[in-house]
Amino acid sequence: MTLFHFFNCAILTFGPHAVYYSATPLSEYDTLGTSVKAAVVYLATALVKLVCLATFLQVSETEVFDPYQEALKAMIGFIDVAGLYFALAQLTHRNISQNHKFQAVGLGWAFADSVLHRLAPLWVGARGLEFTWDYVLQGLEANANLVFTISLAALGSLMWLRKNKPKTLIPIIYTCAVIIATMPSITSYLRRVMGWHFPKVVGFELMTSLVMAFISCQLFILCQRPSL
Amino acid sequence: MGDEKKSKQRDGSMVFESMYPLLALMLILVACVDLCDAATVVDVYRLVQYDISGVPFGSRFSSLNHHAASLSFHRGADLSRSVLILPLRELDLGFLQDYISQKQSLGGLLILLPQTLRPGNNIVLSETQRFRKLLAQLENLLVHANIPFPVYFAFENEETDAMLADVKKNDALGQQATATTGGYKLVISVSEPRKIASPTITNIQGWLPGSRAEGDSNQLPTIAIVASYDTFGAAPALSVGSDSNGSGVVALLEVARLFSTLYSNPKTRGRYNLLFALTSGGPYNYEGTQKWLKSLDQRMRESIDYAICLNSVGSWDNELLVHVSKPPDNAYIKQIFEGFSNVAEDLGFQVALKHKKINISNSRVAWEHEQFSRLRVTAATLSELSTPPELLESAGSLSDTRQLVHEDAIIKGVKLVAESLARHIYGHQRKDIKIFADDSSLAVNPFNVRSWLDLLSQTPRVAPFLSKSEPLITALKKELEDYTAEVSVQHESLDGIFTFYDSTKASLNIYQVASVTFDLLLLLVLGSYLIVLFSFLVITTRGVDDLISLFRRPPSRKVKMV
Repeated sequence: MTLFHFFNCAILTFGPHAVYYSATPLSEYDTLGTSVKAAVVYLATALVKLVCLATFLQVSETEVFDPYQEALKAMIGFIDVAGLYFALAQLTHRNISQNHKFQAVGLGWAFADSVLHRLAPLWVGARGLEFTWDYVLQGLEANANLVFTISLAALGSLMWLRKNKPKTLIPIIYTCAVIIATMPSITSYLRRVMGWHFPKVVGFELMTSLVMAFISCQLFILCQRPSL
Repeated sequence: MGDEKKSKQRDGSMVFESMYPLLALMLILVACVDLCDAATVVDVYRLVQYDISGVPFGSRFSSLNHHAASLSFHRGADLSRSVLILPLRELDLGFLQDYISQKQSLGGLLILLPQTLRPGNNIVLSETQRFRKLLAQLENLLVHANIPFPVYFAFENEETDAMLADVKKNDALGQQATATTGGYKLVISVSEPRKIASPTITNIQGWLPGSRAEGDSNQLPTIAIVASYDTFGAAPALSVGSDSNGSGVVALLEVARLFSTLYSNPKTRGRYNLLFALTSGGPYNYEGTQKWLKSLDQRMRESIDYAICLNSVGSWDNELLVHVSKPPDNAYIKQIFEGFSNVAEDLGFQVALKHKKINISNSRVAWEHEQFSRLRVTAATLSELSTPPELLESAGSLSDTRQLVHEDAIIKGVKLVAESLARHIYGHQRKDIKIFADDSSLAVNPFNVRSWLDLLSQTPRVAPFLSKSEPLITALKKELEDYTAEVSVQHESLDGIFTFYDSTKASLNIYQVASVTFDLLLLLVLGSYLIVLFSFLVITTRGVDDLISLFRRPPSRKVKMV
């Protein structure tokens, strides 16, 4: 029965990635290679981030929100953005349109993130007899994370791959990208300083992810018009 | 060609070999999952399991894996796959008696004891007396019944209180916890209990020799002081027996200390040898005492003038009883009793003589002195108990905790024994002398009494579960070594009609589980979520037509965008 729960949480955490791949034209254009390459880049980025965190961060025993430490964490979080840039711009992909490129990269990135951060706790925890809501919430968080990553990839492709953009939209693009990139710091701030519990934080993440997705979608459409 | 193939094979096997540590790691990870992921873990103590001549008693099972239920269940509900949680405060002895005598099946029984009855807890509450009585009755019921399900004792704490409140609420609503309705699951995973192969009982004796007169080559007479130190109770891991017979042990040790001080100076050494014995196997018809006596040299045994056995001297007020098996008009008995009553008068309390004849055909040995009498040694038992205890009764049950014992009772008992012995040894009978007066260098030391009493009240001492090198036995031996000249430890095996089974202590895991219906519901919700997500994405990226076409024709058709 508890394997049942593990199965449930697993399809909640990893199902949307598979559904996204099969539902959108990504599957028709066979962009799996791109996603795999993006996943590998994510792994490398995660390693670099780990090394930087270990070197520069001091471990505090209490859950005190130290602004200096959080700022340092946010800066190290930008390594993520650098990794995404590398995956989008520097890697050679097959001849696929920009539209699909950012989606494939975002998908691969988010999938690697989910697997690395959520598979092991799920395997060890959700199979026990004791029931907690934690793993369901973790799955919802993975969903929000997927949307965030795809939006970030979209904004990234706008920033680095598209050459002619309307001047007025550039600052908006950059602010949205910064917001998404610093999402981890924002959630940890909410959890520690404001004392929000996990369900509330996950709800907040889901809502923001939908909002951000909508905004980046609109921006993408707006930027597409001049290049027609 | 051959070389290439060989090198490829070698590479392949090398890759395989490098996978082994990874595989091993994966296997370890998988195996480690079941380690302690419960929200609550509680220490529990199992009911004793034993046989008397093959007849089984006690709880016959030890592992547990059922849902929790409380007393507020619907009458007539099936409890054979549930664990009944009974707090001692709400115990209904009649109900339990009916349940056991009608041999109704139950998944398990968990009895929650209040924290005040925990060994080492010295808080006295007014209701503790009522709990103690209830617990004694419960123990009596459980120890003498053959129970075909596991019975465990645990102490109440916040987590068990919360769980019990929850279970009661659910039961009151009629939603008994089963696989389909969720609730709490109690799991104790231990192996099935096995017989203890040859349980050992350990007797410790200390010998304090007297001084011979000039030119006297006869054997000096001996006086023996004996107390049994082991206990028997409903839960062997909790049977600390402060009064029965921790008080007797403490009194013996204090008397030994006083006489060792007296005998250390050759000028004050008496013309009697003193033999102190801490025997085991008390609850089992004093088997240890019998074996110890038989192992003594015959000359030594014949030189014993008389023996004083101490049994439960910790909670009396005004009267201490001297139990004998020889008739009261016997000269030796008269002498002993007179000695006691004279000293008692001086100290301000009373002693009374009680005679119980030994029935040779009856194998039941109710008092320790009976084992001496069967070997023709004069003996008496000093005790606060007025009636001879039944088999396995008054042997240190769960309700016999530290708070039951008063140190002054033990101190009075020590003074009684020491003074009467000293007057006999030094020939000062009927004289009004106090040898062990307070404020003298031979005063009874209350701190010694208290510290040994506290130690014994925290050490469960059921003989079959004590190993040969148990720390308590080593401590008692060392203490006697300090006071006496020669100490010997005798290990015997308990081979009478009793057989014991192990597994006395375990860890209870309490899990809060969700029902199968919940999981199915969640699956339904997730399934529909994924389907909705799929349709939404297909519609937004490919158009509604594509969605409809998915249902008409088989999918995965590569369409190139024109």
